[in-house]
Amino acid sequence: MANFDKINLKTLGNILNTVILNVKSVSKSYGKLKVIGDISFDLSRGESIALLGPSGCGKTTLIRIIAGLIDDYEGAIECKVQKMGYVFQEPRLIPWRTVIDNLKFVEENEERIFKTLEALKLKDFANFKPSKLSGGMRQRVNLARALIIEPELLLLDEPFASLDVHLKVSIISDIIERRKDMNFSMIVVTHDVREALLLSDKIYMLSDKPSSIIEEIDVSNVPKDISNPEFHKAESQILSKILGRWIG
Amino acid sequence: MENLWKYLTGVLVIFITWTVLSFAINSQLILPDPLTVLKTLVSELQKSEVLEALLITLSKIGVVLAITVTFGVLIGFFIGLNDLIYDILRPGILVIQAIPIITWLALVMFIWGIGWLGPVIVSILSLLPHTILSTAVGIRTTDKRLIEMAKVYRVPRSKVIRNIYLGSIVPQLLSALQVIIGNVWKVVVVAEYMCGDKGIGVLIAWARQSVAVEKVYAYTAIIILIGLIVENILNHFVRKLLKNWELV
Repeated sequence: MANFDKINLKTLGNILNTVILNVKSVSKSYGKLKVIGDISFDLSRGESIALLGPSGCGKTTLIRIIAGLIDDYEGAIECKVQKMGYVFQEPRLIPWRTVIDNLKFVEENEERIFKTLEALKLKDFANFKPSKLSGGMRQRVNLARALIIEPELLLLDEPFASLDVHLKVSIISDIIERRKDMNFSMIVVTHDVREALLLSDKIYMLSDKPSSIIEEIDVSNVPKDISNPEFHKAESQILSKILGRWIG
Repeated sequence: MENLWKYLTGVLVIFITWTVLSFAINSQLILPDPLTVLKTLVSELQKSEVLEALLITLSKIGVVLAITVTFGVLIGFFIGLNDLIYDILRPGILVIQAIPIITWLALVMFIWGIGWLGPVIVSILSLLPHTILSTAVGIRTTDKRLIEMAKVYRVPRSKVIRNIYLGSIVPQLLSALQVIIGNVWKVVVVAEYMCGDKGIGVLIAWARQSVAVEKVYAYTAIIILIGLIVENILNHFVRKLLKNWELV
């Protein structure tokens, strides 16, 4: 039993052979501009990966392809999940609807709504319209909307880009907590090494466009605690790789 | 209270200007003084045929408003949802919008002659294109990011229409309704004047024929007064109805 506890979620997913997402040689061009070169990877149930790459390298395009928002691409996506949550870069809340109505738009189960509002500290803002919320609160509602459907796969498209450090840390903690409870798989798109380390088990480093995976880094054993020296060590190592790859 | 005071001052300014102009022109055939018009107004309102005419005009306005808003919003909604249909139908709607009322009047008189139907048809044809185009523009300017969000969460189409599209057309719909409510009186009365058999417009036509200028002014005053009352009542209800889609 003790040994079983040590098996991380990714390994467990592999043992059970539960690959929920298979990205096969995906590439995408906008006219003559090739944005995504040739990207392939698998995602197992309960696993979390980060797509780490420089701004404008096509990370968002890739996650939009996975979400089914872009149809005209080369390659194949095999997705076995029924419920997919998407935390957008900008909150995309319906401006004339209150927080609770924005959540009801995707999920009508009131018990689940109140549970999520409570868990994400949004209960007191349930009847507020988005214009009355701060940027951080709006992003929290964006996350709540993605979690309320109890997703099997959660996609995060640089959702912390416009937030200050406190809010960023607070929302990342919320995601980590929720993931412990709900055990969803996750794909995080980011250019921030710290976010990638905190939220994922594996990092795929992407090249500049046309983007392709240049390195796969297993970070499942890195403690998800920014005060831990091991975390800083891992962060420095990845940063040196980035300096070598993206800049050097 | 302050607004009422300003409003009453405005009305007083109109009456003073009218009185001064009337004395300056000194011709009851061109501009009768307000007191004469007021006396005529009171005596005309006591006549059953005037009240009957007023009710007929009001009923036409009700029918025109109901048809214009219902069909305008419905047609606008559906052509706004489809780019191809919008592009095909837009030139035709613009042509109908540009045709002068007088042309419609001539056409309607040829087809239906003098009667109840003519003014109603002419008024609908004059006001419908604006409602259709305003609604269609509202639909077309819907935030596509919200539609994408709904797609990711697989929200049913009916829910998307109710929650996103309907909210998006509110600003355009509100301004279109204000234009319609403000113009419907003028259009119906002009149409009655030219091709009606009963109604305030017809009374104005008779008063003109018998050179009863004070009656023309008295009927005009009735139209303005009732028009303002109806406009305020309808605006109040429209705003109340659309309150659900306010942003704050």
